[in-house]
Amino acid sequence: MLYLMALALVVGLGVPIAVLSAAMAQSKAASSALEGIARQPEAAGRIQTAMIIALAFIESLVIYALLMFFLLMGKLPETAEVLSKITGQ
Amino acid sequence: MEEEASPWLLFGMSGLVIIFLAAFAVFATRRLTKLPTTKLQGFVELIVSALNGFIGSIIGPGAEKYTSFVGTIFIYVLTMNLLGLVPGLKAPTSGLSITIALALIVFVMYNYYGIREVGALKYLKHLLGEPLWLAPLMLPVHIIGELARPLSLSIRLFGNIFGEETILVILAAMSFAIVRYHGIPVITVPVQFPMMLFAIFTSFVQALVFATLSAIYIAMAVSGHEELEGA
Repeated sequence: MLYLMALALVVGLGVPIAVLSAAMAQSKAASSALEGIARQPEAAGRIQTAMIIALAFIESLVIYALLMFFLLMGKLPETAEVLSKITGQ
Repeated sequence: MEEEASPWLLFGMSGLVIIFLAAFAVFATRRLTKLPTTKLQGFVELIVSALNGFIGSIIGPGAEKYTSFVGTIFIYVLTMNLLGLVPGLKAPTSGLSITIALALIVFVMYNYYGIREVGALKYLKHLLGEPLWLAPLMLPVHIIGELARPLSLSIRLFGNIFGEETILVILAAMSFAIVRYHGIPVITVPVQFPMMLFAIFTSFVQALVFATLSAIYIAMAVSGHEELEGA
């Protein structure tokens, strides 16, 4: 029972924590890219390309967390089965 | 639906992409002229020159040797990603087998280019690190770092495309389920349409990231690991 509770908590909290850190990291990257563009508008093309690539890197870390979510979600039991076990006990 | 999709489905989709790209390439390069006269040749030359410039900005001088490899990777991954948006077809990159194969090819090729440029002994010596007495510490760290590259390449591409495709399926099923619940038999709203527009953007970005990383690995392998050219 404790195992299932811990599993459900982890499945629920895993991706949101990753998304939170990724949002903070991406905001830092985007803000420095925008500052660079504002300082030197001729380099806007190259800075924009580098910013998109940096954002994709940070986002891929969130995708790793999403993959773990898919893996762990397969291990959760059905709600009806758990409820029947609880009320039937 | 109890039956699983055949394990050869992604293989068939990838074969479709290969046949389409090969036929397009053969058709577009018949009767080339020095200055492009047909629109098709102009379009293809635009793509090639854009790829040349982009890869040259990463690898630096001498990038023409690697443009064909990295450019093919980019076009191939881009077409495979976009195939998932066509109704009835499935993106081959949404399976781990295709992305692992691509990442392994990139791994083998950048090591091969490095050994060809710099020589096998000097190329393997970089794994020992700078102060030679730190070699027993730096060697495992560098080896793990090298092995993490194909792993991260494959999982990044697979996770992005598989996740976006799963979101499309869930959105479509959700709109269908809501309409069925209210008893309307026929009308379903394509709720997944804005997500499909975002999926086009994601496909481009992931293909770009894959190609850029391959070019960066080649650049680092070829330059002898002392400096990094350009981007």
